[in-house]
Amino acid sequence: MAERLKPVNVVTVGVGMTGAIMGKELAAAGLKVVGIERGPARDTVPNFQSPAIHDELRFAIRKALMQDNVKETVTVRNSSDQTALPMRRWIGFLPGTGLGGALVHWNGQTYRFQPADFIYKTHLEERYGRNFIDAELTVQDWGVSYDELEPHYDRFEYLCGTSGKAGNLKGRIQPGGNPFEGPRSREYPTPPMKEPYYGALFRKGAERLGYHPFPQPASTLSQPYTNPEGLTLQQCVFCGFCERFACEHFAKASPQTIVLPAALKNPNYELRTNCQVLRVNLDSTGKTATGVTYADAAGQEFEQPADIVLITAYALNNVRLLLNSGIGKPYDPSTAEGVVGRNYAYQTVSSATIFYDTDVKVNPFMASGASGTVIDDFSGDNFDHGPHKFIGGAYVGAIMTGGRPIEFHPTPPGTPAWGLGWKEAVARHYNHTVVLTVHGASHPSRRNYLDLDPTYKDAWGLPLLRMTFDFPDNDIRMSSYVTEKAAEIGRAMGGKIVAAAPRRGPYTTTAYQTTHNTGGAVMGNDPKTSVLNRYLQSWDVSNVFVVGASAFAHNATYNPTNTVGALTYWALDAIKNRYLKSPGPLVNT
Amino acid sequence: MTDLSRRAVMKATGAVGASMLPIGFAPDESSAQEPRNTPAAPSTSGAPQPNSQVQSAPYLFLNSEEAAFIEAAVARLIPADDRWPGALEAGVPNYIDKQLNGAWGTGERLYRSGPWQAGTPSQGYQLPFTPAELFRNAIAAINGEFKGRTPFAKMSAEEQDAYLRGLEAGGKDLGGVPSNVFFSELWESTVEGFFSDPVYGGNRNMIAWRMIGFPGAYASYYDIVHQHGISIDRAPLSLAEDVHGHVHMDPAIPAHLP
Amino acid sequence: MTRISRLDAVGAIVGIAVFCLGSSASVSAQGKRTADAGHGAEIAAQGTAGVPACAQCHAFSGASDSSGAFPRIGGQSAYYLEKQIRDFASSERANAIMSPIAKALSADDIADVAEYYANNTGQFPPLATADAATYEKGQQLARVGDAAKGIQACNNCHGPDGAGIPPAVPYLAGQYAQYIVFEMQMWKRGFRKSSPGSMALIAKQLDDQQIAAVAAYYQQVRGSSASVISK
Repeated sequence: MAERLKPVNVVTVGVGMTGAIMGKELAAAGLKVVGIERGPARDTVPNFQSPAIHDELRFAIRKALMQDNVKETVTVRNSSDQTALPMRRWIGFLPGTGLGGALVHWNGQTYRFQPADFIYKTHLEERYGRNFIDAELTVQDWGVSYDELEPHYDRFEYLCGTSGKAGNLKGRIQPGGNPFEGPRSREYPTPPMKEPYYGALFRKGAERLGYHPFPQPASTLSQPYTNPEGLTLQQCVFCGFCERFACEHFAKASPQTIVLPAALKNPNYELRTNCQVLRVNLDSTGKTATGVTYADAAGQEFEQPADIVLITAYALNNVRLLLNSGIGKPYDPSTAEGVVGRNYAYQTVSSATIFYDTDVKVNPFMASGASGTVIDDFSGDNFDHGPHKFIGGAYVGAIMTGGRPIEFHPTPPGTPAWGLGWKEAVARHYNHTVVLTVHGASHPSRRNYLDLDPTYKDAWGLPLLRMTFDFPDNDIRMSSYVTEKAAEIGRAMGGKIVAAAPRRGPYTTTAYQTTHNTGGAVMGNDPKTSVLNRYLQSWDVSNVFVVGASAFAHNATYNPTNTVGALTYWALDAIKNRYLKSPGPLVNT
Repeated sequence: MTDLSRRAVMKATGAVGASMLPIGFAPDESSAQEPRNTPAAPSTSGAPQPNSQVQSAPYLFLNSEEAAFIEAAVARLIPADDRWPGALEAGVPNYIDKQLNGAWGTGERLYRSGPWQAGTPSQGYQLPFTPAELFRNAIAAINGEFKGRTPFAKMSAEEQDAYLRGLEAGGKDLGGVPSNVFFSELWESTVEGFFSDPVYGGNRNMIAWRMIGFPGAYASYYDIVHQHGISIDRAPLSLAEDVHGHVHMDPAIPAHLP
Repeated sequence: MTRISRLDAVGAIVGIAVFCLGSSASVSAQGKRTADAGHGAEIAAQGTAGVPACAQCHAFSGASDSSGAFPRIGGQSAYYLEKQIRDFASSERANAIMSPIAKALSADDIADVAEYYANNTGQFPPLATADAATYEKGQQLARVGDAAKGIQACNNCHGPDGAGIPPAVPYLAGQYAQYIVFEMQMWKRGFRKSSPGSMALIAKQLDDQQIAAVAAYYQQVRGSSASVISK
């Protein structure tokens, strides 16, 4: 029998980025907040210090900072006619855990989505007509506009101290920035990072072809910065151990460097770590949440009553918790009814590898997770798709994040897979190779979705999340087109050998392709095609908000984090200024 | 005063050292606290002896037959040549042994609930075996195949390569482990043992890092990242080395934090 | 009671090896001049036009004297030494003694003298060791940092117990405590302008006790064994 605890105003399920921001802000607003984090407490000092943190085997290969598969994982299949099987080890994507969540070990690549992305269906139909989008794709508008989110993007970027150069200030295109971006109200908080060699080589090649290269917006900072919480970040030293590694220098925007200390200082905020939330509890009507039930580290169960439940546990966990709690109608692909689990999307990434002669010393190990140079010319709807038979696009850039040798030892096509020929090729090419990233949109399909697995369970006996996903044909065609553009840039960069590797199906869990899992609890204006209203409030249970990339109606060209940050502040604004004044549904259906 | 001695001195004092060393020369050996060991000659024909002298620490997991196979196999996967040592000299068998004997070998971070099904290639590893069980079963089956014949370790290099390619192609069951799955695990472990920090017992003397020019675990490049094409000539740095350059191995670092 | 710490044997060997150096400058295939350590040795020993011998303050071996008024420069990365002298010349760094010397040296001289000292370590003289508490406090800062103040471990950038990360990050191990304290104070008070993004920020957060501890630790960590002897 779960012990019932004293009620609080707010519970956040998970204390990663979204939970930390929500917790800090609502505690500051005078509410009693409990943040329940399933993983351990940890901090820059002592846990993230070098040289121990610069251990590729431990953190990049064995995934020491990630969720432990022994306790819980995700089952995956490409289509509904297969049996989903557990990801027995993380490879394809790497959910985080622990205080601060995955933003402890992200790369810091900080992009805004574009204005057209939030009205994606409307925009595409206006431009290309009603029959242009493939029938299987469930593209839809988000219910919120870029202009509404702009001040919240700005707020999140200033929280992080993001380093970059504005390309569009209030509608005026600025030299040195991205001319394709949506308008921003002010410049970035810190200037762009120094450009490593691979970025400079890309810049020359891209300019030669008439494209518009700009420095990748980076939350690995170019210089010391004190954010609005009074927390000071330091200057990134390009150590080359960014994604999957925590930052020893306070130079990466992570909850412990940008917001957690402010939350923990407030007596209104209480943090509980090593506590696994099992479900959100509902009253007998099923329309109001009464709180959550969780198991502590010793397996003891507790009921934490709360006025507001914020599900801030990462996109995949958010959806699973909704399903395990009976909130919202689960999606059924055979009837196309239901919404929880619908519109799951991912990211369509590919690459072009450029091999140089030995006179070009690339030094890829001098990198941050977000240094480098990109072009937006082929992102989103930035080019005319009329002649092509696909929607969506990808950014292209030289954004190498390090040269860690267990995973990075490129060899040209035709090199043997092992043996002396392999070894010689590795020695010859390691320091003379640039990899271009092609980072593309992922469109939702009626065949791709999340639900509960009927067979496999976690360590607490609850069903695992089941993921049914394969790349829609549209996205494969898109990847093929933009990857060829990347290869052209590679040739313009003076590469001796350029190897293009476009994304091919089927989707496999055996190769890492970002941890950008989106959708499943999407926001929108229509309860028939969304789980949440435009304020990220559950249509079904009005004191539950679900904050994360699970709210994305589709995954646009770019990395999700900045948009998740903006949505967090957007939802926070609605909670503080509307919900708290008048609890109940914020949108009438 | 020989050139080699001066290089040893430079490395020990932290001055600009040589990243490229002649084969067989290992300045760390003279000051290392681990027992001395002699790299075995590259295996081109007729094999290294069983219980090769390469091993610097005793095997804790591998028995002598398993060790003989592993040593011979990794020597073909990443062979030595006249310029650079290979996986055997780099201590990859030691790395594999310590990993199999440790938490990873016993199933750290592995979801181990059934039911069990082969699955599609997209679904990845779906066997019930821990790495320790997988290696033990597969190598026992392999060594069983060679009973009454020339053992793998004594075959010619060409024959060994052909046999490994056969494993790689799959289609054979090795005590419940499909041969391509075993080959894939063996290859991945070999690459890890070759390129990981020497704290784990492989990449001896950071020879793999020297070969490619990877500077290692201490990394602070703000002042030089914009000097495009600069040469980093110094010896690589291990996370486990002290101020005198001695590497203190510790293969039991857990795959979690804190 | 002070204890004689043993000389670093390596340093002794290097001291003898100095006289074996005799390479002269050459131009590489790409047309870049290679630094001439032999010429650097001459400047170190006897100075050059208008410039006193480096050895007067830094000793011919680079070990300087142990007062800490002059830093140990022996065995420091040539790149780093060169950069410091150029910084003195350009007023990026300011020092009443070094600035006029740096301005009087030609670019080639600077490269040569840096190359010379990079290849010589010099002796580690016997120095008083810190008490256990100070040593441990310094070691904690060096290896772990300070959680409450949000200061990272010095070793992150300065290498294994301060051995340095050539080319750009200097060693601290074996550097004189007095000199480390002085430079940290220069950053703390805003007088030293180089490495502002990292060192100024860190120095400002450390208190005087922490600076003294970390300086004492690094002076002691090389050349002697790890055991700590009380004064």
